[in-house]
Amino acid sequence: MSIYILPVLFVALFLYGFFKKINTYDTFVKGAKGAISLVVSIFPFIACIMIAVALLRVSGVTAFLAQILTPVFTFLGIPPELCELVLLRPFTGSGSFALLDDVLATYGADSYISRCACVILGCSETIFYVATVYFSQTKVKKLYYAIPCALVASIIGAIVACLLCRVM
Amino acid sequence: MMLISIGVLIFVDPGATLDAMIGASTSALELCIELCAVYAVWLGLLEIVDVSGLGQKLARLLRPLIKKLFRVDNEEIQKMIALNMSANMLGLGNAATPMGIKAMQALDDGSGKANFSMIMLIVVNATSIQLLPSTVISLRSNAGSADAADIILPTLLSTIVTTGLGIVFVLICYMIHKKLKARRRRP
Repeated sequence: MSIYILPVLFVALFLYGFFKKINTYDTFVKGAKGAISLVVSIFPFIACIMIAVALLRVSGVTAFLAQILTPVFTFLGIPPELCELVLLRPFTGSGSFALLDDVLATYGADSYISRCACVILGCSETIFYVATVYFSQTKVKKLYYAIPCALVASIIGAIVACLLCRVM
Repeated sequence: MMLISIGVLIFVDPGATLDAMIGASTSALELCIELCAVYAVWLGLLEIVDVSGLGQKLARLLRPLIKKLFRVDNEEIQKMIALNMSANMLGLGNAATPMGIKAMQALDDGSGKANFSMIMLIVVNATSIQLLPSTVISLRSNAGSADAADIILPTLLSTIVTTGLGIVFVLICYMIHKKLKARRRRP
């Protein structure tokens, strides 16, 4: 069902544009042109955050942190097997999806751990990545409480996710 | 953070440092090329949404919510936030990003400090208000799940918790911040 939503929306949009007598081709081209300059200007920020994440993983710092934090996670009701996933999720989208794939393969797609991992990924976002990219084109240097608020909310979300997986 | 990791690597595996950095940079470039293609499609479509006046209509629909939540009065910015939120809810994070960046640019007052609207926008975006976790579901069904979609309900509920809490936290922090500032100003 959901695969039809986007194509139907697109057709409706073009028909609407046609109905409003705008030149859809020229308008589309004008908009698409902005893509290259946008990507060029956010590339350095994406590269920097991805290098940092790669170094964290290769050096074993995340694995070490995950080991230290195991009792904390157990206390919060999050399966300790998901420590690394929860730690990396705020930084990298592709990295956490790769980890999810590992979890699914190791514990089986329908196990409690895998379901927790799926729900945690589904209800959270790459906080640091989003913040870096969104603020990359502004002069803002002081973010105040933005990141802590998002992080704390996500951790509580992860705890709720694991609770829900137990009953649902 | 980078410093700690490199410091650790010097002791563990010095040869891997540069490899890891260049590997990551390469994947960043690959990601950017992919993003460029994705953004071209979305920015093209969004331009049509904008020029045809559909954006204004959507913004008008969401205006009460946006005005209350983000405290933005400028119609142009309201429109961008409306598009950003709609794309997010459809699970189109990549379509939401260009609009979010534009909204941020328009909200920037050049003071170097994030204002309330910017912080609210970033927290709402960073706590994800996805209605359909399509990537997760497809990964799960690939892994041989019997009912890959049974995570939709718990995901939806925890997403509501996360985003709701994010908004509440921002409001609380904003009030505390304002009070502290007022106290500091007094001699």
